[in-house]
Amino acid sequence: MTVPRPYALLAEITYRCPLHCPYCSNPVAVESAVSSGKKAGATALRNHTTTHNGELTTQEWKRVINEAAALGVLQIGFSGGEPLARPDLAELIRPAREAKLYTNLITSGIGLDDDRLRALRDAGLDSIQLSFQSDESNLADEIAGAHAHKRKVDVAAKIRGAGIPLSLNFVIHGRNIDRLPQIIDLGEALGAERMELANVQFYGWAFRNRAALLPTREQVNRARDVATAAKARLAGKIDIFYVLPDYYETRPKPCLNGWGQRYLTVNPIGDVLPCPTASSAIPDLRFENVRARNLDWIWRESESFNRFRGTEWMPEPCQSCPQREIDFGGCRCQAALLTGNAALTDPVCEFSPNRARVDAVLRETNLSNRPHDWSYRNNPKPSPTSSSIALP
Amino acid sequence: MGATTISDLARPSLTKGVRLQIDSTTGKSVLLYPEGIVELNETAHDILSRCDGRTLGEIICELAEEYEADSNAIAVDVRHTLSDLQRRNLIEFK
Repeated sequence: MTVPRPYALLAEITYRCPLHCPYCSNPVAVESAVSSGKKAGATALRNHTTTHNGELTTQEWKRVINEAAALGVLQIGFSGGEPLARPDLAELIRPAREAKLYTNLITSGIGLDDDRLRALRDAGLDSIQLSFQSDESNLADEIAGAHAHKRKVDVAAKIRGAGIPLSLNFVIHGRNIDRLPQIIDLGEALGAERMELANVQFYGWAFRNRAALLPTREQVNRARDVATAAKARLAGKIDIFYVLPDYYETRPKPCLNGWGQRYLTVNPIGDVLPCPTASSAIPDLRFENVRARNLDWIWRESESFNRFRGTEWMPEPCQSCPQREIDFGGCRCQAALLTGNAALTDPVCEFSPNRARVDAVLRETNLSNRPHDWSYRNNPKPSPTSSSIALP
Repeated sequence: MGATTISDLARPSLTKGVRLQIDSTTGKSVLLYPEGIVELNETAHDILSRCDGRTLGEIICELAEEYEADSNAIAVDVRHTLSDLQRRNLIEFK
């Protein structure tokens, strides 16, 4: 099998976060994601107890960034958790930019003051994606589990002032989907160049909170019309990306454009993942760690990247399906979460023998009153030897 | 703005946040922007590398000379390419 070159690296530099959004796709149990059966990661953890939860050091990230550039990566997203929780963020952006990567910061904005923003810009940051939870404080702060909304509005103005391109990212779910018109108005008012309106995908905390987050069919249909109209109205002014709620689709999303084809993720402790949610969704997959192997070997040779690469792994109905190189059988993590087997057709597909599992979830949501309680995302527990760094 | 209505005096430029560079893996030109990459063919590269304050008319003239081609035919291609990129918010006219 010829191995393609990757285009984008998601650098999840920390799982620490000042927000507690119940839709977070980070692993619910970071401790177990860190240490379960992943020998390289677990060993690395024991040997690097001076950093937070075994997070990669500045030097280790610099090496990863250079290895990624050598492998062909053109874009890097600094994400988390909240990447601003790492004081060395600018030190990581600089070498990425020097390696000619396009640098994105994916942030809640909490902790982004003028000085920090200037430092990031001077390091060569190309673009900022700022998350919002809704269009106004009451609901937004309830979703975030923190007083964050007003600070985000201020931060958006500062980003504009610094001349850095601004995207607003909203995760859309049952509790904020009816506010979509006002959400789009907010993006317009804040002068965003780009808006990502992404219906929640059910991984990590979102999977745990699915009953409280899944919108009804009626809500979904209304939102789709709102997004379509806004896209047309704002064409040439704001690029609007509307990510469909895949449970309501009949064909699965072309997840990652195929496993191990274009993307790789390095998580805070250095495990290299074909997909950011794979470590929690697919427990039987063993991931390699950048402390033990270089990125080139991991991308080309590792079992985790090759397991679902190409089409040979596919079961029926994918194997004989004309769509198989269009949707690649959908999402491996979703197959694992809904059926217990990552090697099956994504159950969202109407031809999947497991589609009934998705329909049962939809039926429940569309018949009953939505439960309002959800579990807020926790922060990873600090390892005993480390003191925690307060967010600025 | 339709392809034929772009004035010869308009000055195309990359939209803020869009970067033109060589992909060292393929040697080809790419546009990089938030969450996106566009691979450019040679013509698109030749047009975009001139979007630095020059007018559309100047770009068309230079390319006609370089390709030794009829400037009316070049004008159609250049307008088509630029209006496609403008629709995707990758370039703007000043």
